[in-house]
Amino acid sequence: MNRIQRLVARDPNVVILAVLTLSVGITLIAFLGDRFFSSLNLQSMATQVAEFGLLALAMGLSMLLSGIDLSIVSAAVLSAIVGGLFLAGEIIPITPGNESTVMWIGVAAVLVTGLLCGALNGLLIAKLSVPPILATLGTFIFFAGVGMAITGGSSVPVTIPGFSEFATATVVSIPLIFLVMCAVYGVAAFVLTRTRLGRKVYLFGENSVASRFAGVRNERTIIFTYLAIGLTVGMAGLIMLSRVNSARVGFGDSYLLQAILVVVLAGFNPFGGRGKILSLFLGLVLLQSLQSAFTIMRFDPFMRSFIWGASLLFVVGVNRLFHLRANRRRILTNLAPAVVNPIDGSPHPTESPPGEIPSTGTTETTK
Amino acid sequence: MKSKATKIWLFQRVMHRRAKTTEKYLFAIVVAYAVVVAFMNPRFLRLETLFDMIAGGSGTMLLALGLSVVLISGGIDVSFTAVAIVSAYISVLTMDSLGIDNVAFAMLMSTSIGLCLGFVNAVLIQFLRLPALIVTLGTASVFHGAMAVLLGTTDFTKSEMPQSLVTFGSASLITFTTENGRYGLTMALPFVIGALILTWLILHHTMLGRSIYAIGSSEESASRLGIGILRTKLFVYGYMGALAGVMGILYFSELKYVNPTSLVGTELIILAAVVIGGAKLTGGEGTLLGTLLGVSLFALFQTTLVFLGLDSSWRNFFFGGVLLLSLGVMYARQRVADRKNLVFEAN
Repeated sequence: MNRIQRLVARDPNVVILAVLTLSVGITLIAFLGDRFFSSLNLQSMATQVAEFGLLALAMGLSMLLSGIDLSIVSAAVLSAIVGGLFLAGEIIPITPGNESTVMWIGVAAVLVTGLLCGALNGLLIAKLSVPPILATLGTFIFFAGVGMAITGGSSVPVTIPGFSEFATATVVSIPLIFLVMCAVYGVAAFVLTRTRLGRKVYLFGENSVASRFAGVRNERTIIFTYLAIGLTVGMAGLIMLSRVNSARVGFGDSYLLQAILVVVLAGFNPFGGRGKILSLFLGLVLLQSLQSAFTIMRFDPFMRSFIWGASLLFVVGVNRLFHLRANRRRILTNLAPAVVNPIDGSPHPTESPPGEIPSTGTTETTK
Repeated sequence: MKSKATKIWLFQRVMHRRAKTTEKYLFAIVVAYAVVVAFMNPRFLRLETLFDMIAGGSGTMLLALGLSVVLISGGIDVSFTAVAIVSAYISVLTMDSLGIDNVAFAMLMSTSIGLCLGFVNAVLIQFLRLPALIVTLGTASVFHGAMAVLLGTTDFTKSEMPQSLVTFGSASLITFTTENGRYGLTMALPFVIGALILTWLILHHTMLGRSIYAIGSSEESASRLGIGILRTKLFVYGYMGALAGVMGILYFSELKYVNPTSLVGTELIILAAVVIGGAKLTGGEGTLLGTLLGVSLFALFQTTLVFLGLDSSWRNFFFGGVLLLSLGVMYARQRVADRKNLVFEAN
């Protein structure tokens, strides 16, 4: 018991999430039975989750840097379009002899485009100090615009045979793209927890001024992270391209809200510096199980969007309550009037009822 | 065209301030673009192009006005398109089921629904203390999803929808006839001008406007000054919602087609139009003139790329490019100034 308590105390978020995921999984298995817990459904879940998982990872990385990346979906689509042009033989004509060369060039084009998108974001944010939300808002529109200008809004079909096998290939009946996603998660977790770069990312997210005066080259950290985001997004584009076998502007628009949802659900702090890859993975499993259950139960897209929005607000609300309680406890035990509550001039039912010690958090200055 | 000196003089007489740098840049871009288009294709200089632009841009302008107020208060809102559609669609459904066929009723009802939804946003943002972006992303799907689930998404064609809206949408302030047909100025224009004046009055001539700028600059200091944060936020998001409600009805009447799945998804580009006008997400900054210029640029790209022989799919390319450029210039200058003053808050 003591050990469990210690575990919970050390990392409440992961534990809560794990319990939640397990219970949702058990509930789904109990209610939907074989329709949910069959190897076929699990396999299709693993296939579907891959590209979304990579996009969510990209969003999570940007939130670690106390930013947000609104351009992930449009960057992924743009890289898929650029790659699609190669794979459709529009740039280098495909002959029976050079198929595999063209395919590799196409794959490289997807990843390079992703990297370039990330580099543009990184340069805007690091070198020009544009706030991440604005920089990525601009690139979101710009990437979509470039994609539209290239394709004119029509879809780019992949004509090289064999490219779609990447999405359907399995290793011991586990989809290959799912394994790719897991590998990327593994690398991200390793870099974030075991390397200097990872430390710098967390430090920057926690307090960028302190990080600057600690001698960390912040600009470099930002650019590296956004390059990593770009590469991740490029891989998502690659999987997208291979899975659908074509690319079109406007594909996967609903991923943006879901990516933010899963990242916040996983306990990433939108103000930066907090968040674990493991909990992101758990959140992903949870979200995908629900998604798959919705498909089995035939919910229409509006119902889904309602549920996603409501759960985003719910999760955010619960986090807020936990945060408040933790703060109150800390203040009560220390008996230190840590930070004076900004007087709101308005009744404030959730916080500091009369006679209690004010309990405003230290990090939320809403800026 | 007046000369530059007169223009500057006029500007200072009218606005009682100097023009901001972003406004100057943006004005130069708008003028340069207009000149290029006019040079390439003289058809651009006709009155009907202007009328087209006004018709296309007035809805955007209404939303942009509300959004500027939100941005000045240091917040952000991406739920306004959902609010516009939800409030207008509920109004149309009510009119349909009660048999009331009156534009004023539609406006009133849509505005009040928008106001209430805005209040919901404000309360959530105030009490969850999270980035308003995340909260309003959530409420946008909740509002729109709830509407679609509870009320369905049946669309109304021109003959099925309340006829008063159709008449309202077809009516025009001024009409003139050319060899190509009749052109009219949209009825939405008085609403936009009204909203513009109202917003300007609120921002610059009331205590409330001062409070909005104050909480945008620093919420902490504002609350210590005794400004009611919740009250101000209720107004800000409520105002945004109310304008969105008006816009929803205008939008349906202008299109003469009630489609509850349209419009949602365009919020980020409208946000971009406001941002390009110089409003900063950190709050406390932003001018209505900048917003007007930003929306004009947006409307220009939307309606006049045809004159350059490019189809409208190039719109986002140009708009995004200009946005990135202006953001880059704006924040690079800020960065230089910050470095000089030893401010290290933004990396």
